Amino acid sequence: MTNTLSLSGKLSRLRERLRTPEWRKYGQILLMGKLLGVGLVFLLAIFMHPDLIGFGAHAQAPAPDPVLKGNDIVNPINTVWTLVAAFLVFGMQVGFTMLEAGFCRSRETVNVLMECVVDTCLCGLLFYAWGFAFMFSHGNGFIGMNWFFLRGAPATYESTGVAFLAVWIFQFAFADTCSTITSGAMIGRTAWIGDLLYSFAVSGFIYPIIGHWAWGPDGFLAAMGQPGYFLPWVGTGFHDFAGSTVVHTIGGFIALAGAIVLGPRLGRKFKRDGGGPMMPHDLTIAASGGLLLWFGWYGFNPGSTLSAMDFVGIGRVAANTTLAACAAGLTAMFYAYMRSNTWDVSYTVNGFLAGLVAITCPCYWVTPTGAIALGGIAGVIVVMGVELLEYLRIDDPIGAVPVHGICGIWGTLSLGLFAAGQFGSTGPFAPDNTMPLAGLFYGGGFTVLKAQAIGSAMITISTFAFAMVVMLIVNAMGLLRISPEGENHGLDLHEHGISAYPEYVISAMGRPGGMPAEQAAAQFSATAPLPQIGFSQKTTS
Amino acid sequence: MKKIEAYIQPYKLDDVKDALIAAGVTGMSISEVRGHGRQKGHTETYRGSEYKVDLLPKVKLEVVVPAARAEQIIEVLATAARSGKIGDGKIFVSAIEGAIRIRNGDRGESVP
Repeated sequence: MTNTLSLSGKLSRLRERLRTPEWRKYGQILLMGKLLGVGLVFLLAIFMHPDLIGFGAHAQAPAPDPVLKGNDIVNPINTVWTLVAAFLVFGMQVGFTMLEAGFCRSRETVNVLMECVVDTCLCGLLFYAWGFAFMFSHGNGFIGMNWFFLRGAPATYESTGVAFLAVWIFQFAFADTCSTITSGAMIGRTAWIGDLLYSFAVSGFIYPIIGHWAWGPDGFLAAMGQPGYFLPWVGTGFHDFAGSTVVHTIGGFIALAGAIVLGPRLGRKFKRDGGGPMMPHDLTIAASGGLLLWFGWYGFNPGSTLSAMDFVGIGRVAANTTLAACAAGLTAMFYAYMRSNTWDVSYTVNGFLAGLVAITCPCYWVTPTGAIALGGIAGVIVVMGVELLEYLRIDDPIGAVPVHGICGIWGTLSLGLFAAGQFGSTGPFAPDNTMPLAGLFYGGGFTVLKAQAIGSAMITISTFAFAMVVMLIVNAMGLLRISPEGENHGLDLHEHGISAYPEYVISAMGRPGGMPAEQAAAQFSATAPLPQIGFSQKTTS
Repeated sequence: MKKIEAYIQPYKLDDVKDALIAAGVTGMSISEVRGHGRQKGHTETYRGSEYKVDLLPKVKLEVVVPAARAEQIIEVLATAARSGKIGDGKIFVSAIEGAIRIRNGDRGESVP
């Protein structure tokens, strides 16, 4: 057969042939044959020349194992671990923003967004200036007194070997979490200046100083239980691995103080008076925000080892975190169903968050089974907590107080019950399990439980007291609560000059009073989008 | 000319729209409204507390048709919108005094 086809002709013939099954079979046989041939050549080469691909015996002696020093591998890997965790914890800010925005009304959404962003920025600067110094430097049992503006700081933090500034950013992310929690119960009626003032107090003073007691290198609660220190008869110090108390209880009870001083949002009727919570405006954002928080918690808890060398520890902590959240989400959902005959999304989201808060303290010291148990209990507690606040006529739009405050206390106490008697403390090179923590259910008696109760009580009461003082002072200056007109038209328009959804949703009052007609027309008369069957309201002005 | 205002269930909108177009209606207007009839809505539970849903989402459909066709269009509309259950909605008919096409100023029966 003479080949008179051009290249393009051959290509098109190939294409045609590939379409027919008969030619495809020929092609496959051809390829198999070629592969077989290559394989045979390869095997031949191995047997004839083993050195070709390194299968032969090595002639020279192997190089000696390098002697590792801390700076070579350990400190860098621990620092990277700390930083990755810090970034994850910072990612929780997105989660909080979405959660808070979703559960509040559309008329106060921009205020929530602003609050979350600005309190992050404020916290960063305050934590740099004196927050970290108060909380993590040496001083006395109550407060740290070194490293203001991070001056005079060593290259690595204490015995962790982690870069100092990496520890700083990690702890900043925790401080940011606490200060964001506080805004949760104060949504919808807090004036902007009041927001700034109490954020300043929380990030600059309340959190770092009270946190020093539990986490400072010479914090009196951490050092408790030893001869020569606070309450030596207790027998052990206060333990809070990643901050059920230090971050969540403190945040939750500051939020409670704020909610009490502020009072409820206008128009809020409570269940005992025949009303109920105000409707959330975007449950998609709220639930997604909750899941983002769960994701960020994988930095919050495991990262608190500040050590990747304790690899068993970080694995265990991550698993415990997961299981507590799973258990809590389900128990909250089922318990809420028993109470209200509804599969309620708000209770379920708050449920798994409560599990995460609860596991935050004991995560290093419990087994996965213990994590499931204490998480499951947290799910029930949070539902009861929400009902309690509703009964007490405290308007907490997102359930910040039950989730963070109350379940933070539960998580802290649960260490005294569920500490497994196997795990001691983490460390930069390896964990140290020579003195494991054992809780009541694992034969450890009441020692740990007593220490946890004392620490939790002291921190909770002090936090609530200081927070009430701050809130009452700001309130007395007339700066805490927004005016009634501003609140009715919505915080967004009143404080920030724009609503969250200028094109789609106008707050129930229609054109807000106080806005010049031209401005209102410009803002609200945008051409309507395609109609969505749903809850968007368009009013013609 | 007659104006036919129908308050229908939102999920029936597509059926009604298709039926009207098939019946030869040349234009219509839709708006999303909330409302209730004799049932006055119902109660739901959120976060453990009951709340009243007394204004339910509905779709309001307005068409203007020549008077001679009004009965037929109403029949088509009602059949398409009917499910037999509470909440199907209502149709109201009113007389239209005049109609103008904005583009070229036409007036009268040919406009709708």
